[in-house]
Amino acid sequence: MIKPIKIPIAALFVSLFAWSLDFVSGASAQTQLQNLPSPAPINSSLSRVVANESGEIYLSWVSQNAGQATLAYSQLSSEGWNTPEEISQGSDWFVNWADFPTLSVDSSGMVAHWLQLSAKGTYDYDIRARFYSRDRQAWTNPKTVHTDGINAEHGFVSMLPLEDGTTLITWLDGRETKHGDPLGAMTLRAGVFDKYGTAAKEWELDHRVCDCCQTSSAMTEKGPIVVYRDRTAQEVRDIFTTRLIDGIWTSPKPIHNDNWQIAGCPVNGPSVAAKNEKVAVAWFSAKDDTPKVQLVMSNDNGLSFSEPIVVESPNTNGRVGTAILDSGSIVVSWIDTTEPARIMLSRYATTGEFLGYTEVARSSASRRSGFPIIEAVGNSVFITWTDISSVPQVKVARIDY
Amino acid sequence: MTKLKLKPKKSAVSHRMLVLIFAGMATFLQPLSAADNESWRIVNYWSEWCAPCRVEIPMFNELSRRLAKSNVIIVGVNFDEDPRDLTLEIADDMGIEFQTLSQQELDLLGLKPPNVLPTTYLLSPANEVMAKLIGMQSEQDIIDALTHQGLTLLKQ
Repeated sequence: MIKPIKIPIAALFVSLFAWSLDFVSGASAQTQLQNLPSPAPINSSLSRVVANESGEIYLSWVSQNAGQATLAYSQLSSEGWNTPEEISQGSDWFVNWADFPTLSVDSSGMVAHWLQLSAKGTYDYDIRARFYSRDRQAWTNPKTVHTDGINAEHGFVSMLPLEDGTTLITWLDGRETKHGDPLGAMTLRAGVFDKYGTAAKEWELDHRVCDCCQTSSAMTEKGPIVVYRDRTAQEVRDIFTTRLIDGIWTSPKPIHNDNWQIAGCPVNGPSVAAKNEKVAVAWFSAKDDTPKVQLVMSNDNGLSFSEPIVVESPNTNGRVGTAILDSGSIVVSWIDTTEPARIMLSRYATTGEFLGYTEVARSSASRRSGFPIIEAVGNSVFITWTDISSVPQVKVARIDY
Repeated sequence: MTKLKLKPKKSAVSHRMLVLIFAGMATFLQPLSAADNESWRIVNYWSEWCAPCRVEIPMFNELSRRLAKSNVIIVGVNFDEDPRDLTLEIADDMGIEFQTLSQQELDLLGLKPPNVLPTTYLLSPANEVMAKLIGMQSEQDIIDALTHQGLTLLKQ
């Protein structure tokens, strides 16, 4: 499950300037897709692309080799990708295609996490993180994000830089799953951490959530919004939100009543994006065994949402991402499972009007292809995914609208 | 301990089913092959990180033992598509006692990966999906699915 990494720098630069450019026609829109050279080596996967407030792009990934895993990142500059920097390495990580490291970046620094097994022979793992301060020009030693000290599952992390240089970290926390009769449920927790990794605040946001879906967070004009898959006592697993308003988390509420009832793991979390007062949430559901990707929008910082727009059904297995462009239009990434499977971007106006789609790459419905991640900068979207057509390797592309 | 044996439901059972379901006439499929068309298959998708998957594994182990002489077999699929050696290692760690399919064996069944874990398929001898059971199942759920296909269990 765990494998280390050696970053083949030479191989990296061989392909660094092999940029390709395609014009892609969607239903009604023409977009320009550039396949960027990847700074990640072969045997890399689990990538994320993230931008800071200045629009600078960072790519993180995990490389695996000979039983060790390495988390690394690179920044995109005008010269191309900078030399990859290693964040952490270990042979006792929990490396998983759905629950993988996050990199958060702002002008004051960075935060990155990975999952480290906490007890041999179990499925218990901790969220470990390092915090980078630009003032100190150094990463902290690894710190455990949660303070329960219980060997249990902890993961599905999302991070959000806050204005004061701290970072809101949200995660699924299994501390309650180890005691009680019946055993307790997975919880949703969050904390605010400074650049030394010290927790200033910590909350339980929801006492019963789905065990195996990603969380997502974004910053609205009114404060952070967190979206996640809830779990009722009747096993309804719909998408919920909670918002931090004036220091208090709002009561969790559904963005839409799918009423998807399953005593299982969808492994398909929602994705939220926000720009000013606008919020967009995309998610997957499969009620009545009918796969569906849906999108809702909000013009009031997530207080209320539109009726859902069906992005695709039934030829999808979800794995969604959401981004909002400067133009205000919303981009949703999803997997089209029509053979051959493809990574798709669908774009919508704030009115909900469909503006077109873009086929980013041929992919696979396979788990090894992972979750594509998107990030908006201006009116462009950066997207990263894992190409598993031969040896797995992280890919990255830019789509200009 | 109650031992289970399969027998056909009296009504709504085709001749083909009758041939297949008498325990004494059944063949146990090992290894899986495309040529085998005499066994019903219960195909359980699991993953090591899926808590409800881990919960139902002991039930499938027990049911697999009880069906050992029937023409219904239980097989598992690692949803994560890890390399074969790693998959077998994980299956061992999880205490899975029934056969774990290789990718090649899975390809022969023509199943699409499920959207939820665990998911359990009931396949006819002709590899038709006769039931798709989403989420964690009990032994009774599995028996009900078999019964719905005209396969019933005899207590011995």
